[in-house]
Amino acid sequence: MSQTMKTLTMSALIGAVGAAMATFAVPASAAEEAAMEKCYGVSLKGQNDCAAGAHSCAGTSTVDYQGDSFKLVPAGTCTSMETPLGPGSLTPIERGA
Amino acid sequence: MTAAAFAPMPIPPRAGVGLKPEHYAAILDTAPDIGWFEIHAENYMGAGGPPHRYLTAIRDRYPLSLHGVGLSIGAARPLDKDHLRRLRALNERYQPGLFSEHLAWSSHDTVFMSDLLPVPYNEETLARVADHVDEVQETMGRRMLLENPSTYVAFEASTMSEIEFLKGVVRRTGCGLLLDVNNIHVSATNQRYDAVDYLDAFPIEHVGEIHLAGYAPETDDNGDPLLIDAHDRPIDPLVLRLYERAIARAGAVPTLVEWDNDVPDWPTLFAEAERVEHVLRPARRRSEERSLAVAV
Amino acid sequence: MPSLSEVQAAFSAAIFDPAAAPPRGVVGPDRRPAPRRFGVYRNNVVSALGNAIAGSFPAVRRIVGEDFFRAMARAYVLAEPPISPVLLDYGTTFPDFIAGFAPAASLPYLHDVARIERLWRESYHAEEAPALAPDALASVPEDELPRIAFSLHPSLRLARSRYAALTVWRMNATDEPVTPVDISAAEDALIVRPGAEVEVRKVPPGGAAFVTALAAGETLLAAAETAQAADARFDLAGNIAGLLAAGALRDIRRA
Repeated sequence: MSQTMKTLTMSALIGAVGAAMATFAVPASAAEEAAMEKCYGVSLKGQNDCAAGAHSCAGTSTVDYQGDSFKLVPAGTCTSMETPLGPGSLTPIERGA
Repeated sequence: MTAAAFAPMPIPPRAGVGLKPEHYAAILDTAPDIGWFEIHAENYMGAGGPPHRYLTAIRDRYPLSLHGVGLSIGAARPLDKDHLRRLRALNERYQPGLFSEHLAWSSHDTVFMSDLLPVPYNEETLARVADHVDEVQETMGRRMLLENPSTYVAFEASTMSEIEFLKGVVRRTGCGLLLDVNNIHVSATNQRYDAVDYLDAFPIEHVGEIHLAGYAPETDDNGDPLLIDAHDRPIDPLVLRLYERAIARAGAVPTLVEWDNDVPDWPTLFAEAERVEHVLRPARRRSEERSLAVAV
Repeated sequence: MPSLSEVQAAFSAAIFDPAAAPPRGVVGPDRRPAPRRFGVYRNNVVSALGNAIAGSFPAVRRIVGEDFFRAMARAYVLAEPPISPVLLDYGTTFPDFIAGFAPAASLPYLHDVARIERLWRESYHAEEAPALAPDALASVPEDELPRIAFSLHPSLRLARSRYAALTVWRMNATDEPVTPVDISAAEDALIVRPGAEVEVRKVPPGGAAFVTALAAGETLLAAAETAQAADARFDLAGNIAGLLAAGALRDIRRA
């Protein structure tokens, strides 16, 4: 495909790499890298903790477990983002978009 | 990133707590005086990223115990070889002082159910569990501890007691046991037997670790008490009393506080570990005096 | 007496079928059937797996609200329970499930937001690797530049959308109030974790085609041509600088 296109000349490519390099005139300092090393990142909860005791994972031990509860309507922030399609609504879905 | 090999750090006969991401920062910032930490192995089975960065920093400072929650040792189906390899890799990477898993199953066919499901106690299950424990110990190249479960139902197919079953596994495999004292109270209540009798019959000489946790009270089909192993609140005083009895029999054993749901702030969890230390400290002293007396 | 395999087959079938009676032989201490006791396991399984999904898709959860999310997650758990005990991998197919989930059809961008969250998680747990130093290209002789290729950073993920999924995700990734969004503006997101933190960037025109071509092993020249063909606004210098600054590249490979 690139054979026929030939939209990019070699010199344009070299020029682009040069321009890209110019944005990094100041290399990252060693101090900055050392500071990065101390950072461990965001700590997210593990996903395998429920098995070790699941009651509150369950909310209740009795069966909260409707097979079909899709009379529900999306009712979070979607209603305030007011997308062009209108806020999320449910009931018989004909996909309009 | 080639991780530096960790020097072996045995788990001391002190109180430890389950390591929660909510507490990473507090632990690294305040360097609390706590005996050890335990992780759920499956939470650290990603290739890299923050979980391993934190765990590496904490393993640098504290002894670590590896506790699997997904191996499904009690399943009829063969063990998941890929999962066993992942466990072995974690074991090699972090050099934990102890490794434990559950007398339970959680996988059937290709489905993982993320709960510790009960098994009937009979010869067929015993043979299967013993084979699986053998395979785990051979693959990992170390002894494992098998934990007594919390159960909510019984099986008509059971032909022996839980204690007989656990003794059978130990006899056939040479594995050790993880004694969960909360599970004793929960299962004894749910199955209507006496927790003290169970504890007194437990093969305590094989216990390498103890778990403690909080449970949630519910009711069964007849409106009678049904306790749920919830890990979402402090240790019940009844369980702590049972634990004192266990320590009186066993001496000081590494003891973990498990608090996995509705996780409290670090000072609250640390205070819970202190409740355990109140029991362990005198036991450690007693065993020190004993060994001194032997030396003299 | 049923075999262990039969006991477990019946047990797991009843777990995933809310209408099923508890399996035979599963009893209370009085040796009588105990559906409420069995229900503890059923509920634990469905709730634990639903919680794993809820934890992995917080923005989707916020967008649709708790009740809708729980119902959708429950439907997913019953339709596609995990095959691996490593739950940090669970939910890979949840974005596709949302795309086909009729009650969510009024939010056509929702599955793309879910895809960003899923890929964010993959990036978070990806293998550690140093990113290519921004000045590394300076050491490549000019006449070799067209023929070099790159290996990309193992944490790099690309989430393409016909909608403004990135804007919607960003607005819902925190608890900050949301504002109206024109969802019809297509957005591509570049997700990468060169160090400790996952970073998400909006990809400039043609950039997604460029990254996709580089990921497929194309040379710098071929990838640039592919990107320019995909979008005439493609800016090669800006994209190279952007990828280097993002830490999206790992190594230079010479053909």
